[in-house]
Amino acid sequence: MADVYYTCNLLPPQLVSARGHSLRWLGNHLDDVAASSRRDALGVHPMTCPYVTRLVTAAESVLATASADDCVIVPGGCDAMRRLGDLLAATYPERVFVLYMPRSAAPGSRGRLARDLAALDEWLAQRRPVAPPAPGATESPPEADGPRLQHVGQPQPGGVFIVAGPLSDDSLLRLITDLGAGVAGLESCTAPERWLALCPGSESGEAEEGPTEHTFERFAALMLDAGACPRRSTLDRRSHLESRLDQARPSAVIYARQSFCDPGAYDALEVARLAEERGLPFLEIEVGFPFESSGPLRTRVEAFLEAQSIEDDLLAGFDDDLFGDSSGLADLHADKEG
Amino acid sequence: MPGMADVTGEGTRASLIRTAYLAQTRWKAIQARTARRYMELHALSASLDMFKPGAIVPWVSYLFPTELLTSYGLTPLIPEIGSAVLTGSDLRETVEAAAARMPLARDVCSYHRIALAAVENEMLPAPSMCLGTTPLCLGKECLLEMLAVRHGVPFCEIRVPLPPDEGDTDPEVVADVAEQMRELHDSIGRWTGLTGDLRRAVDLSNRASVAWGRIMSERLQGRLELDGRRTFAMVFLGQLLWGTEEGAKDFERLLTEKGRRDLLAPRAAADGKLKRLLWLHTVPHHDKELFELIGERGATVIFEEMGQMHLGPVDPDDPFPGLARRLTDNALWGSSARRARLNVDLAKHLKVDGAIHFNHWGCRHGLGSVPVVRAAFAEAGIPFLAIDGDALARGGPQQEKSMQAMESFLEML
Repeated sequence: MADVYYTCNLLPPQLVSARGHSLRWLGNHLDDVAASSRRDALGVHPMTCPYVTRLVTAAESVLATASADDCVIVPGGCDAMRRLGDLLAATYPERVFVLYMPRSAAPGSRGRLARDLAALDEWLAQRRPVAPPAPGATESPPEADGPRLQHVGQPQPGGVFIVAGPLSDDSLLRLITDLGAGVAGLESCTAPERWLALCPGSESGEAEEGPTEHTFERFAALMLDAGACPRRSTLDRRSHLESRLDQARPSAVIYARQSFCDPGAYDALEVARLAEERGLPFLEIEVGFPFESSGPLRTRVEAFLEAQSIEDDLLAGFDDDLFGDSSGLADLHADKEG
Repeated sequence: MPGMADVTGEGTRASLIRTAYLAQTRWKAIQARTARRYMELHALSASLDMFKPGAIVPWVSYLFPTELLTSYGLTPLIPEIGSAVLTGSDLRETVEAAAARMPLARDVCSYHRIALAAVENEMLPAPSMCLGTTPLCLGKECLLEMLAVRHGVPFCEIRVPLPPDEGDTDPEVVADVAEQMRELHDSIGRWTGLTGDLRRAVDLSNRASVAWGRIMSERLQGRLELDGRRTFAMVFLGQLLWGTEEGAKDFERLLTEKGRRDLLAPRAAADGKLKRLLWLHTVPHHDKELFELIGERGATVIFEEMGQMHLGPVDPDDPFPGLARRLTDNALWGSSARRARLNVDLAKHLKVDGAIHFNHWGCRHGLGSVPVVRAAFAEAGIPFLAIDGDALARGGPQQEKSMQAMESFLEML
C-alpha cells in the first residue's frame, strides 16, 4: 500500500484512502537530520518559517528513500508552503501535488477548490489505480498517521487560551500547566479538533465512500469550514476566534507565532486586538518547529503567568467595603488603567 | 524647507505647500522633458490629491487593474509605492521609527510594514476601500483586509487561480476572473456614487500599453537597451497612471529619443563591452551603491523581470478578459517552475551574461522560488546570483554583504 505524505491537515483523509493510500503527516517524519547535512540537500532561504524549513528536509528524506509509489501532497495555503510544493515538484516530478488553498469561503473559491480536489483525486488514481472499497465493505481503511498533539487534560475556563500555528506535540501546553496555569483552549492547525473534523466518522466528517463530483464540493466546503486558520479572510478568522474565546472563557491569551510567518504575523495583531477588547492580558512568543522550550522563552511565559497570578492575588485581597459605591473588580481595573 | 510631512498635511498651509512642491517637480519635468520626469510629476500630482479632505482613497495591490479605478477618476494607493516614496523622503526616519514601534513582526515584508506604520501615523491617507488580487503574494492580502476591517471599509479580492506551468490559462478561468472584475467595477461605482467611463480609461490605457509594448519589443529584439533599474522605477510609478491622459502621454513620450534619453543603458568605452544583466524581482529603490558597483565593474542591468506588464492593448468593447489575462498570465504568478522557464527563456533571448535575483526582505513568494530558478539557470549555463536585501533600505551590514557577493559575481563574469 502506498503512503501519501501531507503537510497541512486540511486534507480529507478519505479522499486519499479511497484510492488505497495511507495518509501520513510529514511533521511526524522530521527525524532524519542526516538528510539536511548532505551537500546536495534541498534547502530553502533562511527567511522561511521553521515549519516549512523542516518539512523540506523531511519530504526529501521520504521521497529519496521511500518506495516510488509514495508521494507528497502539499496544500499550499501560504506562499512559503506553496513554494515548498513547487521545489519538491520540480525535484521529484510526478510525485508531488500542490493543492492551492483559497483564502475565502466564497462560492467561487469553493467551486475552484472542488475542481482542484477532483484533479488531485485523478492524480492519485493515475499513480496507483485501486478500486475504492465497495459500499458496506468490512475491511479496515488504510491507516492515517496524523499530528500527535493532544490536549493536556480538560479545558479549564479561566486558564490560558493558546493560539499557535502548527505545533509538533503538547510541549507548549505542558510548559503552561507545569507553571501552574490551566489551558482554557487551544487554536492550532494541528489541534485534534481541527484535523479530526475532516476524518470519517466524525460529526462533520463523512463515511467512507467513493468520490463523486458532489463529494468534492462537500470536501471543499468542509475544508473551508474547518480551516479558519491565520491565512484565511480576516473577518472569517476573527469570527472563528471570537466564538472560540466565548466558549473557552480564558483569563489570558498566548500567541505562539512561527518566525517568518506572514499569516501568523497579521493574525497575532488581530488576536492582540481581540484580547484587548476583552480586557485579556496578551503575550506573543516566537517559536520554532518542532517546539522547543528554551530558557528565555520559558522565562517570558513564566513571568507573564506570574504577573497574572500576582494581579489576581492583589485584587482578591481588596476589601470592597473600602470603596463605598464601587461595584467591585471591574471598577478597580478601570481605575488602574485610568 | 517644507518636506513630505508638510505636503501630506491638511489645511490651507499644506495645500499651498503641495502646490509649491508640484510646481518644483513640474519645473524639473519641463527642463528635462523626459517621460520619466513627467511620470514622476503626474504620479505625484495624482497621489497628493488623495491627501485632500474628502478624497476617496482606494488601497490596492500592486497588480490591481488600475483602469477599474481611473475610469471613475480615482487614483489607487499602492502600499508598495507609498512605502518606497516615504522611505526616499525626509519622512524616512519618522516612518521607520513608527514601524519599529509597531507590534507587527519585523520579518514581514518591509513594503507592507512601512505602509501599515505610515497609515497608522497619518503619513498615508486611510483607505476608503481595499481591493486586492491573489497575485502576487498573500502578505498584502492580509494587510489590505486587515486595514479594511479596522477602518470599516469594503474589501474585495480578485481571486486568480495559478496558471499552468506550460500552455495557456484555461479560458474558463479567464472568464471567471473577468466576471469578478466586471462586478467589482460596478461595486466601486455603487460605493462611491461616481459614474465611470471605462471606455475612455481603457482607450487611454491602450495608448500607453501600445507605446510600452513597442518599447519592450525593441528591447527584446536588441534594438534598444534601457537601464533596467531606472526603467523599473518608471514602470513602478506608472502603475498609478494606467487609464489616465497623463499616463498615456508619458508612455508615448518613451517612443521619442528625447523622451527616453535618461533611461538609456550606459555604453561601454570605445574598446570595451559591458556585461549585460537580467534583474529578477523588485529593485532596491534607494541603494545607489550597488548599481554604481555594477557600473564600475563594467556591467549594466539591461532588462528587468517586473517590467513585463501591459505589453499590449485590450479590447475596448469588452476589456475585462484582456484585463483578466494580465493577472492570470503575469510572469511572476504561477509555480516556481513556470517562473524559472520564463526567465531562462528571457535570458537566452536577450543573450545576457548573467541574472541577478533580489531576495527582498520578507518576500516569501519571491525568494521561495529561488532554489528552482537557480537550478534552471545553472542547467542553462547562465551565471546566476541571488542577493539578500531590503528594497527600502539604505546601507547597512546587509548591503555590505550584498556588495561583496555582487563584486565576486561580476569578477566571475
